[in-house]
Amino acid sequence: MRLIRLILLTFVFILPVKANTIYQLIKIPNLEIYELNSPNKLKYFYASKPFRLGVEKNIVCFNSDKKILKQKYQIINKNLNKYSASFLKKINLKYIVLCENLSISGINTAGIPDNIMKTLILDIKFDEKYFERVIHHELFHIINDSNKSVFSTEEWSKFNNKDFKYAECSTCTKKLGLDTYINTNGFFTEYSQSTASEDMAEVFSHLIFKISESKDDPILKKKEIFIKDNILKIDNNFRF
Amino acid sequence: MIKKVKASKSEKIIFTLLIILGIFFLTSFLIIRDKCLFVKNFNPKKIEFKNPQNIVILNAQCGNVIIELYPNVSPNAVKRFKYLIKSNAYDDIAFHRVIENKLIQTGDLEFGKKNKLDYAKIGTGKSGLGTIKSELDGEFKYTKGSVGLARTFENDTEDSQFFIILQDEPLFKGEYTPVGKVLYGLEVLKKIKYLNNSEYVLRPDFINTFKMMN
Repeated sequence: MRLIRLILLTFVFILPVKANTIYQLIKIPNLEIYELNSPNKLKYFYASKPFRLGVEKNIVCFNSDKKILKQKYQIINKNLNKYSASFLKKINLKYIVLCENLSISGINTAGIPDNIMKTLILDIKFDEKYFERVIHHELFHIINDSNKSVFSTEEWSKFNNKDFKYAECSTCTKKLGLDTYINTNGFFTEYSQSTASEDMAEVFSHLIFKISESKDDPILKKKEIFIKDNILKIDNNFRF
Repeated sequence: MIKKVKASKSEKIIFTLLIILGIFFLTSFLIIRDKCLFVKNFNPKKIEFKNPQNIVILNAQCGNVIIELYPNVSPNAVKRFKYLIKSNAYDDIAFHRVIENKLIQTGDLEFGKKNKLDYAKIGTGKSGLGTIKSELDGEFKYTKGSVGLARTFENDTEDSQFFIILQDEPLFKGEYTPVGKVLYGLEVLKKIKYLNNSEYVLRPDFINTFKMMN
């Protein structure tokens, strides 16, 4: 046992410092540059090997096949190009990390926003059916996290019927469906009913995708106005 | 009576070879020991500068590093930098973070001072002047020799610490506040002590002096 420990220690000490600029910037290992010259100045990285993150290393994501990467990058790039460089700067988003089978504590997720590190990790293998809309959903979380005071959850919750209550957290509920309701009744999707923040993100992504069912839904109408007005507070030039 | 023994021809050859070998080893030892031997030391007085008011000279173990500051790119950062240089604040400050052929970082005025080094806290020290706002809007490209202000993970936390890059770093553009660029003496920086297994240096090298040209 002592010998093994000694060998391991020796191995650790003889490893050279691998100075990786991407790691220094966003503290995610095993990334390589995919594209640096996008029109809105977003920098795209991809996982060259699987990586683990977080204090408990509970965030996991895997590297992808180059062909899939190329195909999904084009979709992601097309969608994110809807946002101007100045808007992205205002919301503190600069880096997009592309990887597959992204999960937090074993629960699969489409994306992980981190506005402090200016980074959005996207699972490029997330359900095809919702893939493009979900990109905007995740981006909204960056907007929200950078502007907590603007998107008041208290004010938002008042739009709902009095007897409705959100769950404690987005993973504390089984309401995970992403299909857009025909009869909305205040919510675009089942997942909208998980938390106020997820509800806002769903309204935002539907607005960006121009899926509006709110004509006959007074609650959704109020929610859409709330999102639009507050996005314009952040950037007056934003166009839905 | 002692008979004088004359060295044979082969013995003379061996003796000469031994002397040559000894000289070779001694010279090699001295060359290896003196890391600055082949580093050119630039004399700023012998160079003409367009904007001498923006030229600063950092003197390290192997000689001078001549840097041009860019007040037009980052006015506030250069103002702070000049203030600290003029007050000799950077003299005897450690190059506490060095990555071989990539980056050197220094300027921790609180925990990086010679004789007052605090290895537990080095890299977290402040100048006492407060932080300044990041200046990231310019089109400054981080090419080899660029000098930028270090910060925490958040913007607007720049203070006295700065770094100089020893290779092009396109990802630094718009990320760190630039203050200038090394004009002469990059080789001096490449000789600054680094460790192979850690970015942070035990018994680091120090800035001898850091002065304005004028």
